[in-house]
Amino acid sequence: MNRITVLCFMASYVLALLLELLQLWLGRFYLRVLALIAGFAGLIAQTLYLYSRRPPLVWQFGWMLFMAWILAIFYLCGAVQHRRFSWGVFVLPLLLGLLALGLALGTPPPEARGLVQAELVSTDRFWIALHIGLILLATVSVCIAFLASVMYLFQSHRLRTKTPPGEGLRLLSLERLEDMNRQAIILAFPLLTAGILAGMALMLQGNRAVSWMDLRVLSTNSLWLVFALLLYLRYGYHLRGRQIAFLTIVAFVVLLCCLALTHPLPHPDRPQQEGRQGEANCPTSASIGRDERT
Amino acid sequence: MNLWAIGCSYRTTPVEIRERLAFTDEQLNQALRQLADSLGFEAVILSTCNRVEVYLAGGPPQPPDSLTDFLANFHGLNPQELRSYLYVHQGKAAVKHLFRVAASLDSLLIGEGQIAGQVKKSYERALAAGTTGPLLNLLFPHARQVARRVRTETGISQGHVSVSSAAVDYVREVFDHFGDKTVLVIGAGKMGELTLKHLKELRPGHILVTNRSPEKARQVAAGCRGEAIPWEKLDDALTQADIVLSTTGSPELIVSRDRYNRILARRTRGPMVILDIAVPRDFDPRIHDGDRTFLFNIDDLRIIRDKTLARRREHIGPAEAIVEQETSRFLKDWARRSNGPVIERLTQQFEARRREIVGNLLSRLNGKLDDADRQYIDKAFSLFQNQLLHGPISALSEESRSGGSGSHTLIEALRKLFRLHD
Repeated sequence: MNRITVLCFMASYVLALLLELLQLWLGRFYLRVLALIAGFAGLIAQTLYLYSRRPPLVWQFGWMLFMAWILAIFYLCGAVQHRRFSWGVFVLPLLLGLLALGLALGTPPPEARGLVQAELVSTDRFWIALHIGLILLATVSVCIAFLASVMYLFQSHRLRTKTPPGEGLRLLSLERLEDMNRQAIILAFPLLTAGILAGMALMLQGNRAVSWMDLRVLSTNSLWLVFALLLYLRYGYHLRGRQIAFLTIVAFVVLLCCLALTHPLPHPDRPQQEGRQGEANCPTSASIGRDERT
Repeated sequence: MNLWAIGCSYRTTPVEIRERLAFTDEQLNQALRQLADSLGFEAVILSTCNRVEVYLAGGPPQPPDSLTDFLANFHGLNPQELRSYLYVHQGKAAVKHLFRVAASLDSLLIGEGQIAGQVKKSYERALAAGTTGPLLNLLFPHARQVARRVRTETGISQGHVSVSSAAVDYVREVFDHFGDKTVLVIGAGKMGELTLKHLKELRPGHILVTNRSPEKARQVAAGCRGEAIPWEKLDDALTQADIVLSTTGSPELIVSRDRYNRILARRTRGPMVILDIAVPRDFDPRIHDGDRTFLFNIDDLRIIRDKTLARRREHIGPAEAIVEQETSRFLKDWARRSNGPVIERLTQQFEARRREIVGNLLSRLNGKLDDADRQYIDKAFSLFQNQLLHGPISALSEESRSGGSGSHTLIEALRKLFRLHD
């Protein structure tokens, strides 16, 4: 199990993507089945990797890996449910992009293991796990909303140019894609809110000082604001269709920036960041891990 | 193989002749009975709007002239005039022709699915009339299998080739569920009726119908369980509608861009799909924005049909290969079934004769031969028998596989030459 590397499952996903593209070109159904098999092999390898290595979520690498893992499940379920549609052509590039971004941002040292620091007291571990879980699910929802928006724009373009149905990319109907986008956003916002609240609860429990200028706090709050705005425009101004799709893509870009520039979770191996930014205002600050260590 | 396919289709015959040759339901039974009783054939008649074909099997190997006369007499036509329109396929060619027809390779719209059902129905009618026999009972079910194979193994049936079904395909690209959707029908053109029929299959929640003539609007609304609304309320209806089907005979635009923009400003619903299949067009084409409004006119829909047909044509090669393969398989199967009893009797007769001769010979040489000699003599006679029979059996099998009528003659010759009795 220890011989499985990130490149193993990335290669499986790349193969699945190539087979999906080939299927699009040649129109042979068995290619889609082969793509599914490759995708499934990738998921198995990634699951074993996550189980054996337990990359810490305090590193962007671990975070991206978990996001990609959930997206891989989303890809397989969607590809089985929507067999006639070009599902993998959209999901797999995002999945691979997240894995590549995780690698680019740096892998954790071999001694860093465990999703949440083992040395934290049990109460904190619960709140941090809740905090992590909620924000992770929120980010996955944002990814799904992004995918739905990209597919919506493709489908909308096809219809604007009056491309005959069945020619080229086959996509779900505009109505279905808009529903998917809406549901993902509706799910992401409360998850993000609850995740932030869990972080605040943890912070208040530890009676820590609050710094609103911490980059992680700023980015998390700005992401929350973007989503609040998105919901307001969707339901207050009744924005629909392409406009809402474009705004969702903007929200996804903000999310990527947040994840790439800084990480919303405490990071015990980055003292230089803490020194530069001071104490954080929420449990997402680096101080939690450090303070709770005995 | 004594099999004939005689008929005419849209390729060879103008519609004026085809419609005179077409059989009504009552005429079909009558014609089938006459073919079976007077001419002694197994018979199936395929009569559609694009072709009239008679499939005959068994009976005496007659030239098709008698059938031409039969058809001419039956429909009151001049036999000489009719002969120039008819094509005749015999044996293997007839088998292949039926398989091509059933697989929709000979259809006006290649890959259309209706013909396979019509072939099946024709056979069932003949079966019910008792005019089928061993050959046609094997041939027509096989034709259905060929049609199914071609449909599933090639892309020849993919896509829609009618304007109305292409319109529905576009609607499905925009909407996912239709129970909460409103369809607005403007006008009452013939093409509109067909498209509305396809739209109704989506089970929309509400259908509104409007027309300059309130009476016509009520008629169309009654036909589709919709609601007739006054022509003056067209703008209100457009603010409520999700799918618009416009098919008026108006010489000028009904909904200009300015008028549409005013309607759009009042709309609170999602996108609207407008199927403008009227000529001249009813809606200003500039209103199509690919976001809130999707407008498709008759030319857009015809382009789909042309592209679908072009894509289908790419599958003709593989489909023809399947037909060729299945034709060979059918002929082999038929040869096995029809020649089997004759070959079996021939072999049994030779076998009995050989045993008798070898038995006599061995009894005369009794005491002079050891076991090895006896076996050698027995094997030598078996070899001679096999070599002797190889020629006639091979010739019969080859003739049957080629689908020619020669196999019938050969069987008769074998029966006489070797005195084979049933």
